[in-house]
Amino acid sequence: MKTFKTGGIHPPESKFTENIPIEVMPVPAELAISLNQHLGKPAKPLVKVGSEVKKGQLIGDADGFISAKVHASTSGKVKAVKPHPHPGGQYAVTVFITADGQDEWEEGLNTEPVDWHGFSKEEIVGKIKDAGIVGMGGAGFPTNVKLSPPPDKQIDTIILNGAECEPFLTADHRLMLESPQEVIEGLEIIASLFGAQAKAYIGIESNKKDAIETLSRLASSKGIEVVSLKTKYPQGAEKQLINAITGRTIEQGELPFDKGCLVQNIGTAVAIYEAVCKNKPLVDRIVTVSGLEIGKPKNIRAVIGTSFRDVSRFCGDLKDSTNQIISGGPMMGKALFTLDVPVVKTTSGILFINNTGIEKARERTCIRCSKCVDVCPQGLAPWLLANVAQFREFDEIQLLGLANCTECGSCTYVCPSKRELVHWIKYAKALVNNRQKRKSA
Amino acid sequence: MISEAFIPAVASLGSVALALGLIIFYVSKKFHVEEDPTVVIINDILPGVNCGACGYPSCGQFAEVLVETKDSSMSCPVGGADLAAQLSATLGITMAEPQPITAVVLCQGDNDTARETAEYYGIQDCWAATQTYAGPKQCRYSCIGLGSCIAFCDFGAMHLENGLIVIDKDLCTGCGACIPSCPTGVLVMQEKKAERYYIACNSHDKGAATKKACDAGCIACQKCVKVCDDDAIVIENFLARIIQEKCTACGKCIEVCPTKVNCIRLEHDLKEVKQKKAS
Repeated sequence: MKTFKTGGIHPPESKFTENIPIEVMPVPAELAISLNQHLGKPAKPLVKVGSEVKKGQLIGDADGFISAKVHASTSGKVKAVKPHPHPGGQYAVTVFITADGQDEWEEGLNTEPVDWHGFSKEEIVGKIKDAGIVGMGGAGFPTNVKLSPPPDKQIDTIILNGAECEPFLTADHRLMLESPQEVIEGLEIIASLFGAQAKAYIGIESNKKDAIETLSRLASSKGIEVVSLKTKYPQGAEKQLINAITGRTIEQGELPFDKGCLVQNIGTAVAIYEAVCKNKPLVDRIVTVSGLEIGKPKNIRAVIGTSFRDVSRFCGDLKDSTNQIISGGPMMGKALFTLDVPVVKTTSGILFINNTGIEKARERTCIRCSKCVDVCPQGLAPWLLANVAQFREFDEIQLLGLANCTECGSCTYVCPSKRELVHWIKYAKALVNNRQKRKSA
Repeated sequence: MISEAFIPAVASLGSVALALGLIIFYVSKKFHVEEDPTVVIINDILPGVNCGACGYPSCGQFAEVLVETKDSSMSCPVGGADLAAQLSATLGITMAEPQPITAVVLCQGDNDTARETAEYYGIQDCWAATQTYAGPKQCRYSCIGLGSCIAFCDFGAMHLENGLIVIDKDLCTGCGACIPSCPTGVLVMQEKKAERYYIACNSHDKGAATKKACDAGCIACQKCVKVCDDDAIVIENFLARIIQEKCTACGKCIEVCPTKVNCIRLEHDLKEVKQKKAS
């Protein structure tokens, strides 16, 4: 079975929701649509307080090359435009919409599916851009930018990422089972942009046998190879997935297209299909609501902007024993201080957890057991990075490969001394950024 | 009685020492660098903490440039007026008296007044805490209260008190090393003058949001703007700001402030200013 070469861990899978079909969550009375749902510059707001919007109407325009459009996810009236907590751990300008209950689409959007084969490459990329599609696996890189690599880079491998290696999360898994046709069509649309020499793969971890079977049946006639991958975290990280399927290694400072590869998430592929064939902007996504502290763990299709509070109510409310709420998976997700944060395009899961009994972070000294070095999928020495960060040696830390760390959290997971390795690395990244900003200013 | 075994050892080591001494003597003569004695004298007068407040990386460089250019506008904020007088005497020019400045904290949200969002168990450092929202306090403009700046202060002028950084105005020399160490930017430099008021709040949230997050926040109620006879207070982006040049330190604004004295704070001795004005 294929897997990436260096490091990796196997935390308990805890996929409680893998057999629960996706449930459509009704549109709540009020939505908070963040204008910063992607990497790059936040979108510029196009609506004012009091303006009427239709479902799918553009409310935030892309500001710059690396940015994405944002659409209203229901019809209603704009109540406010102001900064609001964002599940990514910052504050972002957010458009509040009071729903009118009609959920009425703007004209010409969400039509009957049409055949995409007649569209030119420019048309397809244009439609993806207009739909505001970003990478839905977590990072939120604008998809139209990813699909337009520099002309001198030849893409020969297109990988669809169905690994879903984070514990708990099953959103992509359910999507593969329930909309396999759309997944395949989405992949075909992506592949059509890069000509006949591009080979398409779908990488799925071996703990999702049913998804592998379903997709293999459909894919075999289209020349798409479904690759069964070893269940190992972080199999679904871009660089690790490329390494597992093609054997190529992305070095520090390189991007996947430097090695002829392109990776897209399952959710993104379906969004691309819907944007191109149905003219549907990205206004909803599949979210796994799980953890032991929620009444009914579910996979839901929620519109962008639904608050976590509404989601928790829809899923049978959280128990009083909840003491941690995480947006995303348990390995890379962010702990939240409030339920008043909205679902954004990159929210793959919401976890309700009781971590009493788990030792609260009291860092002890490194005992040089080298476990973190063994598990680091990027081949770094996390203990050293953390030590150097602690002593604020920010020139040296960059030589040790700070930029190469993907913050997957494997090192913190295995550390017997409970050191906050990833936190130290994030801390160093924040301060290195701050220093560079000050220098350039 | 010296044992005979000592003689060759003493003789050989002595001759080596003599030879090395001669080499050192020769080298020091041959490669002698003419150093201005005034630079040495001035270097001795300077505080010698190399804080960089004067704009030069070290006290030594400051001394060199000062002796070379005899620029009377150069000043060392750490030394203050005393040092300026000493320098004037040594160099025979009248040195400008430095404007004493001090760092101030634009936040009064300590553990009692500012409300927290969640318990924070992570790394005890402000920059690490800002990786998840604005740290444990609800107000995202506030002093995070984990004391990243303390390590940057060469003079021991900063300490934490009840979740808020406190600056000892007597120890602060105004070097400004702490300013870039703050992720929320609540530290600013301020003239260390008697007649200076400032607003000790950094929150640009609307009044209601500020009030929700903290009892000591500026809620931009405009009361102080109305009461000020000198038009010295302006509200910018939901935060009052005192224009330092116009402020006469009458103290009326403190009396009307609904968040009490927490917000508008007096720098040094207000009494002295009032007496001066009266006379």
